[in-house]
Amino acid sequence: MTLLIKDEYPEKLFREDGKRLDGRDLKELRPIKLEVGILNNADGSAYLEWGNNKIFAAVYGPREVHPHHLAKPDKGILRVFYRMATFSVFERKRPAPGRREKEISMIITDCLEPVLFLELYPGTSFEVFIDVIEADGGTRCASTTVAALALADAGIPMKSLVSSVAVGKIDGKIVVDLSGIEDKAGEADLPCAITWFNEEISLLQFDGDMDLNELDTFLKLAKDALKEIYEMQLNALKSKYITIQEKYNGGQVKQ
Amino acid sequence: MENDELDSEEFEDFEDEEFTRDLVVPGEILTEDIVNFLPGRGTILNEKKDKIISLNIGLKKITKNYINVIPLRGFYTPRPGDKVIALIVDKNPVKYRCDINAKDFAILKPKNTFKRSKIKTRGRIEKDTGDTSTEKYSIGDILITKIISADRLNMPELTTVGKYLGKRSNGIVISIDTPKIPRVIGRSGSMIKLLKNLTKCHIFVTQNGRIWLKGEDLAHEKLLIDAIKKIEKEAHTVGLTDRMSEYIENEKKKRGIN
Repeated sequence: MTLLIKDEYPEKLFREDGKRLDGRDLKELRPIKLEVGILNNADGSAYLEWGNNKIFAAVYGPREVHPHHLAKPDKGILRVFYRMATFSVFERKRPAPGRREKEISMIITDCLEPVLFLELYPGTSFEVFIDVIEADGGTRCASTTVAALALADAGIPMKSLVSSVAVGKIDGKIVVDLSGIEDKAGEADLPCAITWFNEEISLLQFDGDMDLNELDTFLKLAKDALKEIYEMQLNALKSKYITIQEKYNGGQVKQ
Repeated sequence: MENDELDSEEFEDFEDEEFTRDLVVPGEILTEDIVNFLPGRGTILNEKKDKIISLNIGLKKITKNYINVIPLRGFYTPRPGDKVIALIVDKNPVKYRCDINAKDFAILKPKNTFKRSKIKTRGRIEKDTGDTSTEKYSIGDILITKIISADRLNMPELTTVGKYLGKRSNGIVISIDTPKIPRVIGRSGSMIKLLKNLTKCHIFVTQNGRIWLKGEDLAHEKLLIDAIKKIEKEAHTVGLTDRMSEYIENEKKKRGIN
């Protein structure tokens, strides 16, 4: 099959006025919209729009493990299923889970496990289903963020939420939250996630060319962005209940 | 079919209406004063042991010097003594398997389905009464049961011997979020009394989030279900009992029932 439109990247990733191609500053995030409790049949759910990314997450559990041999007698297991819809990317994506999807499922599992008390639920599983409806760069970070939110919405005891963002380098400048084009045409890409109860890095991957001395700058920038995302997560979780509270207290939350 | 007999200790959570109603989320710092406060239910000390943090999405409540978080979302964990509504999903000659809305199926043995009494003939115990086969109930039956044993590892065990327990062949069973069950009962049963009086229905509320109800006709039952769904949605607001009586009276006028 011949491609109708070739994958072409622009030569410059910055506009003449110094801003990025989508009009953002170096440290500016794409617009984020978060919602919880949108799927009725799941125990917990969340929806995220991050730039052009559109992602659903649904949580079930604790429940029996199938296949049964995966169950552990001394602790519960967390299983994450990250899937991309066939129409989520420009060229049709084959629906079977590939190497990339399995890897991302695994890293999200490892990223979320430290905040859960799995040892309290032996022989059971918590299942997180992440469906990427539309993808435009940074879906692994967006998926981690929305999965943590869905777990909290399900009422599963957690030490804290998890937030995630990618930092990268394009045209020699360090930027926060890479979009699809910046990810492919840029120099370096460093997705990272943080667990807020001990402020430890829970996910750190790297791809591209970068000086090791720059790592500190990368992580400092990431932390500022993560704090911003964390605030949005808290607001999304609370707003579901606060709107109902406000309705019956004359527009004010009664303390 | 009264609920008044239920142990009120289980349903203390939403007792005080006018308590602090701060909404907290997992990981939120509840207090940094660990000298005067202790971590209670739904909370934990952080690694440095200088802060108390919340584990659930819920409402912060301080009782004496304990900080608790009353969850707004969550799942049912079986505990011995709980009354639960069970649905028989499978049976074999020695036991029934029941769905009780928990992570495991529960087991009901035939010996726990009838009252044990011995027949005495000429001063000697001859045999047990009752049938020890699984003929009494069939798959799909709805039972009100009590949990006699439950722990983290084994399947919970049920009994149908006791007051108000046994098979239900009529009525409707609805299910709501488990953490909101205390709100349906209300402070010392105030909410459930209100619902009973205004809708003239029999209600049995169980700890696993299922409610059995039966009214005079379908209109009353529909009204009660709508009222319970409203309680579930607004469980974290103040002054709910007053608002519910108002709501039911208004709905009665609208629907033309009395």
